[in-house]
Formats: sequence, structure tokens, C-alpha cells
Amino acid sequence: MKMIEARGLYKQFGDVIAVQDLDIDVRAGSVYALLGPNGAGKSTTINMLTTLLQPDRGQITIAGHAIAHNPDAIRRIIGVTFQDLVLDRDLTGRESLDFYGRLYGLNAQTRRTRIIELLELVELTAAADRLTGTYSGGMRRRLELARCLMMHPQLLFLDEPTQGLDPQHRAMIWEYLRTLQRTRGMTVVITTHAMDEAELLADYVGIIDHGRMVTHGTVEALISQFGDDIVRLRIPSHTDVVWDAYPWVTQAHWVGHELLIGVDNGARRLPELLDVVRSHGAEVVEVTMQRPHLGDVFLRTTGRALRDEVAQ
Amino acid sequence: MIHATYAIWLRHMRKFLRNREELGGLLIQPILWVGLFGVGMGRMLANQSDYLSFMLPGILALTALGGAAGGGMMFLDERLRGIMREYMVAPIPRLSILLGHMLATVSKAFFQISIVCIVGVLVGATLPSSMANVVLGLIALLCFTLGFAGIALAVATRSRSIMGYHGMIFLFNLPLLFASNALYDLATVPTWMQWIALCNPATWLIAVMRGDTQYAWYLGGLVCFACVGTWFALRRFHHLTK
Repeated sequence: MKMIEARGLYKQFGDVIAVQDLDIDVRAGSVYALLGPNGAGKSTTINMLTTLLQPDRGQITIAGHAIAHNPDAIRRIIGVTFQDLVLDRDLTGRESLDFYGRLYGLNAQTRRTRIIELLELVELTAAADRLTGTYSGGMRRRLELARCLMMHPQLLFLDEPTQGLDPQHRAMIWEYLRTLQRTRGMTVVITTHAMDEAELLADYVGIIDHGRMVTHGTVEALISQFGDDIVRLRIPSHTDVVWDAYPWVTQAHWVGHELLIGVDNGARRLPELLDVVRSHGAEVVEVTMQRPHLGDVFLRTTGRALRDEVAQ
Repeated sequence: MIHATYAIWLRHMRKFLRNREELGGLLIQPILWVGLFGVGMGRMLANQSDYLSFMLPGILALTALGGAAGGGMMFLDERLRGIMREYMVAPIPRLSILLGHMLATVSKAFFQISIVCIVGVLVGATLPSSMANVVLGLIALLCFTLGFAGIALAVATRSRSIMGYHGMIFLFNLPLLFASNALYDLATVPTWMQWIALCNPATWLIAVMRGDTQYAWYLGGLVCFACVGTWFALRRFHHLTK
């Protein structure tokens, strides 16, 4: 069953096209990672999926509700944490959660019970009555997570949930997310720059760039496009090689001065590979070999050019 | 709708009562205006009988104006810090967000107005003795505060920075007081200034509070002003949340 079905999303700010012809499908109970460089359109997409922004064109259906017709039905089943922390620094952790519960009309008893339960979950019971302005970045992220769980959402949107956190806090947040998905069957949509995070948590990955979906699939399927191994050859001058004659090469592309070649068996194919490249007149100055990971898929699909984020 | 409005109002009041700087500023400002300016001017204008009581409605208007500006500031701060998005993803009517802010703005303004009145009485000003005048004065103050709160919130939906907002809002502040009957009798000023003052909601408020014989017209004007201010805020807010 699909939790999210978005078709032909398009959003433009002035002259800048933020998102165009974007389709997204998210299966209920799965973790979907939306990846992309800065300014690729991730936040705009999340804002449209969370009802904060109306698309100029396209349709979004969440849990069977069309966003254009019934946004409140969607707001009732989603929880959202934003990239920039939205906690009020002048309220305590407990008051922040209490306010959120009041906003949704929860009665006092339910609010009290849930707050105790969630503070325990994110291990903030001892700091519950301190102003959130005194919290560390990691504590604030955990409280944000607790905040968006107050209403027992079916669908969780997490925009860069571990940005700026130390490795311990990142591991802790990942653990919470895995627990939530396992125990509550929650659907999670996450945006991140951290490829290790996406690889570890996501069942399905969508990579967007320049507002378009450039590739999507399960983590395993995306990585397997590269073959079993990746051979990186550092070659100062760009040389074109036609690889069609070599069936053991799954793909090859340039990233800067590096030629990345996916092969079925790196150790066995390396000598032949070097011969082929050299026969085309290329000078190889460095060779490295590795198992492919999601970061390679990301760089292949989005390139290495730096992006300037468009302020909205 | 009501629970969301109440939740937003409660949040702001809790923060307000906790913020010592804001509370301190609210307490000191009326003491400075009434205690120093009022008493000082009263002594200088020795021929004007009870100048303090004469200028107190003007100080109340200025206080309400400051409260309204503060309400817009509170809204802008939440908007710029992204806190507004927390409301926007909740299944609550958009109107309750605006109403919660307006209610908190009016509550804070009336808290300060009460302090001004207490300080005024302590330094010798006299308040209207009849209950009808007090009620009329309160209604007029409420309309005046709502009108300017609406304008301040509308400006806050557009401003890109706190500085820009201040520039816009404080453009109105003191000129509205000076271009009114707050500090001097309009009979003593040039005709052109009388005309400007007559178009000023602060003049209408002060006239009602001083028990002017034309108070019904002025009160009607203030009700319209409150409606226009609220409509303006709603319109801008609708545009912001679209």
C-alpha cells in the first residue's frame, strides 16, 4: 500500500524552478530517503508534502487523502521535524511538548501521559523542566523528535534530522528511528546529506537534482548498478574509452579527473582494465579499489559541481 | 479553533510572564511617561488645571500602540525563527494562529494599560468616575488596540527583518501621538493640524476617554478601525499561508 503518491510536482519561485515533474512513491511502513545536493529541491518537496507549500502543478495523495482537497486530514497523521530547529528557547522541554499537545486538542491526562512516555524515549526526563535554550544541539534534536511523536503520527517527515550532531547523537537518533519503525510500523521520509545515514536507514532512496528525480530505487539496487567493485583511476587528461566491448564493465563515468569503473571483480580485472585505458593513450597516476556505496551513486548522478542554494 | 487559539495565547502569556526584560520594560515605560513627563509638563503648564489627567488618555493610547507593535514583533520573531511552521503543519484553522497572536497582543497591552492607570492615580491623575465612561473607555481602547495590532501583524507578515519592521512601525508611533489631541487642546493648534488630528484614531480614542459629547461618532470610527485593521491582518496572513 502506498503512503505517499506524488505526480508531476512543479514549483517555481520567481524565475527559479525549484521542483519540476517530480514523481514520488513511498510505501507504507518503509523509510524513504530523499537525497540531493544543496538547492536540489529537497526542502521545497518536503514543504509541499507536508502541506506547507502548494505546488503550482501536480497532485499529492497521502494515505488516500488528496492534499489539495483535504490538507487537515493529512496534517492529522503526519509529524514533521524541520532542518532548522523550531523549538522555542523560552519554554522548557515539558512545556514545548505540552503546547504541542494543546494545539492538537489533547486533554490534560493524555498530554501528561504522553509527555512522560516520550521524554523517557528520548532520554530527556532529567532535563524536562529546563528551558530548551539551555539544551545542547543533540538534546534539542531529540526533543524535536519527541514533539513530532506527540500525536502518534503514521507518517514522519525528518528534514536533516542529524545535521550538526556528534557521532554519539547521530547513532542515538538512528536507533530511535529504527525502533519506531520496527515497533510502530511508521512510514518515515528523511532528507539528508549523510550517505551513511541513508544507507543505514532507508529502504528506498530517491536522488533529486535541479528539481528533478534523477534516480530512485532500493539502496541495494542503486549500488548494484555499479557492479561488485569500483575501480577509481586518476587520469590527468580526459580520455574517451568505449566500454561496450567489455561485458564485465557494468558502468564507467568521469567525476573530475577520476574515472570510476564498475566491474564484476576488481582484483581480477584490474590488469586488463589498465591495459585498455593505456591503449587509449591515458596516463594513470593513481589506482584505488573499493566496494561501491551510496555516495558513489550520489556523485555519479549529481556530479561534483558545487551548488548555490536558492534562498526562498 | 478555540483550543488552538487558547494554546497559542497561553504560550505567549507564559513566555511574557517569564521574560523579566519585557516585564521590566513594560513597568518602567509608563512610570517614565506618567511620572516624569506628565508631572513635569503639569508643573510647567501651571495654568492648565490637572494636566496629568488631561494627558493620561494620550499615554494610554501610546501604551496600546506600543503593545500592538510588540504583538507584531512577537509574530515576526516566530515567523523568522521558523516557529510558525510548527503551527502550519498542525490541523488547526489558520485563523486561530492569527487570533491567538491578536489575543496575546491585546492581553499584554491591557496589562500595561492597567499599570499606567495605577501609576497615573498614584501621581495624582483622576480617572472617570462613572462606570459608563469606564466601560466606554475600555471598549474604545480595545478597538484601538485591535486596529493597530492588525496593522502591526500585517506588516509583520511582510517584513524580512526585525530592523525593517521597526522602521515601518515606529514611523507611526510618536507622530500619531503628536498629531492628535493627546498633549494639547486642538482648539489651540492651526486648522490644518486640526484636520490631520481628526483623521487620527488616537484622537477618537482620547475624545471618547475624555467624555467628548461626540463620543458615539468617535466610538463608531474606532469600531470601523478595529474591523479594518483585523481585515488587513487577515488578508496579509492569508497571503502568507497560501
